[in-house]
Parts: sequence; C-alpha cells; structure tokens
Amino acid sequence: MIPSAMANSTETAVESLHHIKSTEPPEWLVPKQELSQAVRAASKLLFSSLKPHCPKSTFDQLLTEGFDAEQIWQQIDLQSQPLLSSLRREVKKFEKHPEEISKFKDGGVGGGEKKKVLEQIETDNVVNDDDDEDDDDMDMDEDEDDEEEEDEEGEEEEKERGTEEESENEGAEKGGIEDKFLKIKELREYLEEDEAREFGLKKKKTKAESKKEEEDTEEEGDDDEDENEGSVDDDDEAQEEEDGLGLFDGNDEEDEDDLENARYEDFFSRKKNKSSKEKAKSRDMLEEDSGSDDEQDVDKRKNGPSKHEKELDKLRSKIEEMEKANLDPKVWTMRGEVTAAQRQKNSALEVDLDFEHNVRPAPVITEEVTASLEDLIKTRISEGMFDDVQKARTSSSKAPREIKELDESKSKKGLAEVYEEEFVQKTDPASAPLTFSDELKKEASMLFKKLCLKLDALSHFHFTPKPVVEDMSIQTNVPALAMEEVAPMAVSDATMLAPEEVFSGKGDIKEEAELTKAERKRRRANKKRKFKAEAAKRMGKKARQMTTVGNNDEGREG
Amino acid sequence: MSTEAAATMEIETVPSESKPESNPLPPKPKFEPLKAHEMSDGRVQFRKVSVPPHRYSPLKKYWMDIYTPVYEQMKIDIRMNLKARKVELKTRQDTPDISNLQKCADFVQAFMLGFDVPDAIALLRLDELYVESFEIKDVKTLRGEHLSRAIGRLSGKGGKTKFAIENSTKTRIVIADTKIHLLGSFANIKIARDSLCSLILGSPAGKVYSKLRQVSARLAERF
Repeated sequence: MIPSAMANSTETAVESLHHIKSTEPPEWLVPKQELSQAVRAASKLLFSSLKPHCPKSTFDQLLTEGFDAEQIWQQIDLQSQPLLSSLRREVKKFEKHPEEISKFKDGGVGGGEKKKVLEQIETDNVVNDDDDEDDDDMDMDEDEDDEEEEDEEGEEEEKERGTEEESENEGAEKGGIEDKFLKIKELREYLEEDEAREFGLKKKKTKAESKKEEEDTEEEGDDDEDENEGSVDDDDEAQEEEDGLGLFDGNDEEDEDDLENARYEDFFSRKKNKSSKEKAKSRDMLEEDSGSDDEQDVDKRKNGPSKHEKELDKLRSKIEEMEKANLDPKVWTMRGEVTAAQRQKNSALEVDLDFEHNVRPAPVITEEVTASLEDLIKTRISEGMFDDVQKARTSSSKAPREIKELDESKSKKGLAEVYEEEFVQKTDPASAPLTFSDELKKEASMLFKKLCLKLDALSHFHFTPKPVVEDMSIQTNVPALAMEEVAPMAVSDATMLAPEEVFSGKGDIKEEAELTKAERKRRRANKKRKFKAEAAKRMGKKARQMTTVGNNDEGREG
Repeated sequence: MSTEAAATMEIETVPSESKPESNPLPPKPKFEPLKAHEMSDGRVQFRKVSVPPHRYSPLKKYWMDIYTPVYEQMKIDIRMNLKARKVELKTRQDTPDISNLQKCADFVQAFMLGFDVPDAIALLRLDELYVESFEIKDVKTLRGEHLSRAIGRLSGKGGKTKFAIENSTKTRIVIADTKIHLLGSFANIKIARDSLCSLILGSPAGKVYSKLRQVSARLAERF
C-alpha cells in the first residue's frame, strides 16, 4: 500500500498497543468495541512485523475485518507455530554452548539487529498473551504455556537463522573448529556424496521413517534419519537426540503444524542440507574426519573385486571346508557301531535314532477304537455268540459202570431166591430174570415208545428218523462165548469188556490192612479234601437258594 | 453103600477071610447103598433143637412153613416137644441123604436164632451157606450208652443200615441185643462182618456204605 498510510497505521497501531497496555484488567471483562478495535490493529501490526522472520507464512497480513476472534487467532497461530519451534531450538543450543551467544553478540551489526528483533519478539509474545485473554478466558492457562513455549521456539529459530547466515557468510568466525585437516566444505561434500550413495539403499527406510514422523515429532524423525544416514559419530547422534527430545517436551501443537505442512522437499531435499549443517556444528570433528576418510577408502576397494573373482573365492572356501571335513575324524553317527564309551555323554539324546522295536506299540486308545469295541460287544450280545470256554468231554472208552444203588429197604426176596438168581445168572445168563434196574428200564422204554407213537401221530407219521448216534452202549461183563452160543457149555476167560474197562487201576487197590501209616494218612487226607470241596459246593448252592428265598421272605415280612 | 458094605464086610469077613484061601474066590457081592436109617446100624438118628422163649410164638406162627419143606422135601420127621420146649428131628426110612437131617437141623436152628423162614430155607437149598454169630463185646468192649449207640449204629434208622448191608452182600443179619448172627456164603459173611465191625468200632454209616459199594462192585465182577 502507500507507505504513508502504512506509517500512519503503524503509529495508530502502536498507540493502540500502548492503550491496551494501560487498560486495567477488570475492564477486559466487559466486551467493548473500542478495545477490540485497538487490539485488532495492534495484532495486525505485530503480525506484519513478524512476517519477515517467518520462512513460510501463508498470509501477508493479518486479516481482521469481518473475521471472528477464532479465525484471527488461527492466523496468528499459523505464523507463530514454526517461529516458536525454531526459537526453542535456538535457546537450547545457546543453553548448551553459551560461547556462541558471545559470538552472537560480537557479531556486531547482525548481532545488534538480532537483539532488537529479540526484544520485539518478546513484546509481541506478550501481546499475544493479551490477545488470548481477550478471545478466550477459558483457555488462558493452556494458551499461556503454549505461548511461552512458542516464544522460546521463535527465539530459537531466530537464532538459528542468524547462526546459519553467519556460518555461511563468515566462515572465518568458525575458524576455531576448522583447521587444516577439516574443511567444512569438504565435509559437506562428502556427506552429500554419502547420502547420495546410501539414498538408494535407504530409500525404504526413509519412507518408513516418514510414516513414523506422522506419529512422532518432526524433530525426532529428523534425528532418526540423520542417524540412519551414516553418521558415524555417537556424539553427534546424542546431541541430535537430545535436541529432539528437548524440543519434544511441550511440542504438541507445533508438531501438528509441521505435519500439516509436510512436503516432499522436507524429507528428501531440505533434510539433507539440514543434516549436513548440523554436522558442521558438531564438536568432535577429528574423529568424524578420520571416519570419513576410512569410509572413502573402503568405497574405493569394494569397487575392486569382480563378480567372477567373488564366485571363485566362494568356491575356494567351500572346497577348503569340504577337504577339512574329510580329513577330520568322522562324527560318531557316521562311524558305524559305536558304544557309549566312544561318544560323548548324552550325545545319543540329540540324535534321532532309528532302531527296531520288538514290542508292538501299545494301541492308542482313541474314541474310534472304543466305539468299535463297543459295537462289537453289542453285536455279540445281541447274537448271543460268546466265546465261552467249552468243557472238553473226555471220550469214554470204557462202558459206564452201572453204579449199584444201595437198597436200604428190606429185601422182598428171600435169601434163597437171591442165591438162586445168582446161580442162574452164572450158568445161564440169557434166561436170567431181569434185575430191578432192567425192569425199570423196560418200563421207561415202554412209556417212551407210547409217547413217541402219539407224537408221530401228530405229524401224520411223516418223520425223519433220528440219526444213529452211538451214544452209550452198556456192555455187560459176560463171557463172550456165553453171548454167542445159545447153550454155553463151557466157560471161557474172554470177556466182553477189556481189562481196563473191568478195572482201571484207580481207586484204593490196597486194603486197609496192607497200608502203612503214611499211606493211611494220605488216603484219609484225600477223602477229607474231596468231602470239603463237595461241602463247599453244597454250601454255595444253599447260599444262593437262601438269598433268593430270603429275599422273598423279606419282601413278605417287610 | 459101598462103605457100608465094606463095613459090614469088615465085621463079617473076619471069619470068612479064611475060607477063600482054599477055594477059588467067590464073586464080589454087590450091595445097594445104605439108607439113612441103616447108616447108624439101622438105628434112627435124632436131632433136637431147643426153642428160646422169644421164638416160641413165631414158631407156632410159622410151624407149617417150617414143617412142610422139612417133611416133604427133606423127608425128615419133625415134631415139637412142648414139654421140653424142643424141636425134634428124626430120620425116616425114605430119607435120601443123611445130610438132610443136618440141614434141617441147621434150618431150624437158624429160625431159632431169629432168621425168617424164607431166608432160612436157603440153608436147605444151598450147601455153602453158613450161619455165623458173634457178640459186640468180641469186637470192642462197650458199656452202657456206648453199647446202645453201637447197636443203634448197626441197625441204623429204621434198620436201613442193616438192610443196606444185607442187600449189598447177599446176607441176612439178625441183631439180637448184643449178639449178631449172619447168614450167607463164606465170602459174603466176611464182608458183612467187616462192615458190622467197622460200625461197632465207630465209623459213620456213610463210610461203611462207600466201602460196601466198592466191595460189592468188586464182588459182582467176579464170578
């Protein structure tokens, strides 16, 4: 605009500033048009005065007409955020290295100008505080803190700008650091070269770092990238870390601002310059220089061996390895039969041995196995096909002896008749009158025949004849001759029964009179044992009967 | 007969032996066998069997059963001497065998001992039957209750043990207080006697039965 107008506006603005300063705090509680106008003008002035110090400012001047308090505040914030961060950095640097302040002071004109600027900034910052009070009473405390931090950062940045300019212009002042071995320019060149080389490798990493940056602060991200970009010196890293950390303490709003303004140049062009410049300010230049020299040499050597040579080296190393393995004594696993003494302790545990198991592995009981077993059991039960042990019948070779039952009643026959019968049987067996048992048998067979006849009648006499089963044939011990001949005149020794069938040799052969004492005792013991066994059996039967009977009784009684 | 003839010859040939020395020998005489009454010089033989008082009434009861086989088949005269309380037996002229008298005497004696008539008749029919008697005290000295118990053991409940022995050994047993009489063949009597002795000595009836079974089975297999 017109400089005169500008000068007028500035004067009015300054007047308004003073006016604002002079007003009492209670007057601010009530909104007044006059005060607000004054404040707007003052803030406008401050904004424009600060503008040259801001590297990237979106507004040329503060727009106040028709804007809300919030909007005005946002504009101010936009300008002041980067300022504050840089100022903070500067302050931290000067905290660490107070001699730079002296240099700064010695810097003469530049320094004087800087001083004034600093004063102005201080006042501006105070005004900013007041502005906040005007707009939002609630956010006072928070904003004050932020403002103060912003102030610091603004100062820092100012200082940084100053030092940067100084370093560029007055290299002689930094002569204390540089000497014949270290040239800052050379250092810078090397660093750029290095970064160019590593940039190809570290492109991915940087991108990852960029992602990180969205979470962390820009300063931290910068520091990390600086570290990755091949800074050898630990001190440098420490310093940068510290700087980053120090700045991070109260840096929330500034980070947001930086992230919003993040651009490609920030990551891939300006970053390098920044890093190189920061390294230029480092302390231990000697070490870095030597490290840089070594790295330069290594670079040259690595370019030397060709691919083919590399392959040959590999082959050679492999061959050496294999030859060495062949010459060494074999591992115990390769040696054949090895006893425990010939190998290390517990070395067999580490090896997966394979040997024959003579034992069938125990079946793994799974649900399927149990299910299959249960099915089998069910089918067997339903069929009734059990694997019971069948009693092995001893085939009776001999005829079953007719057990003579002891008749305990008075015999109806007289003794004479008994002997008569006996005599007759001896002489003429055919005509011998039937014995009692034979008569019974006859009667039984007669009854059975009658029954069979009736049953056959039921089936209309269609029946299949019974298969002839040689079950039991009773053989009477009668002389064969007697059986064959009608009238046996002679008596022969040949009997129907074989000697074993007549007498098997079991039982007590010796009579009691012939026994010795021990044999007698043995006989008695055997008999006792048999008797006890039978008694036990009988008792068992009785017990079973008793239980069933007892239960019935209990049921009745109960 | 020949013996009789020889006997008579012996008596008479003393004077006659001198005669044939001069003359040629006369033909041998042929004599018929002597009859029972001739045997003892023509005299009749007697047997007398005393009747114990407890057998008096059974004798009266079964007199005819006794008399008939003796008189008819044995051809022995039999009579009861009431005064003397004896049964007298006498040979008749047509008694075929002198042993008949003895058999009849044995038969009557057996009846007096206590055997039944059908059992005693076996004596008449079979030669090799004998009667044996012994006392309990011969086996073991028992007194008082032991004796009574022994007797009880011998006979068993309702006489079943006695019958068991009788049936298995084909003998007949009469237990008269402390006296025991056995009737049967020699071997059978032995077996029965052994069983009874074991019973007297105290073995239980079951044991005796088992032994009896064994023995009888063995007996039956023999002929």
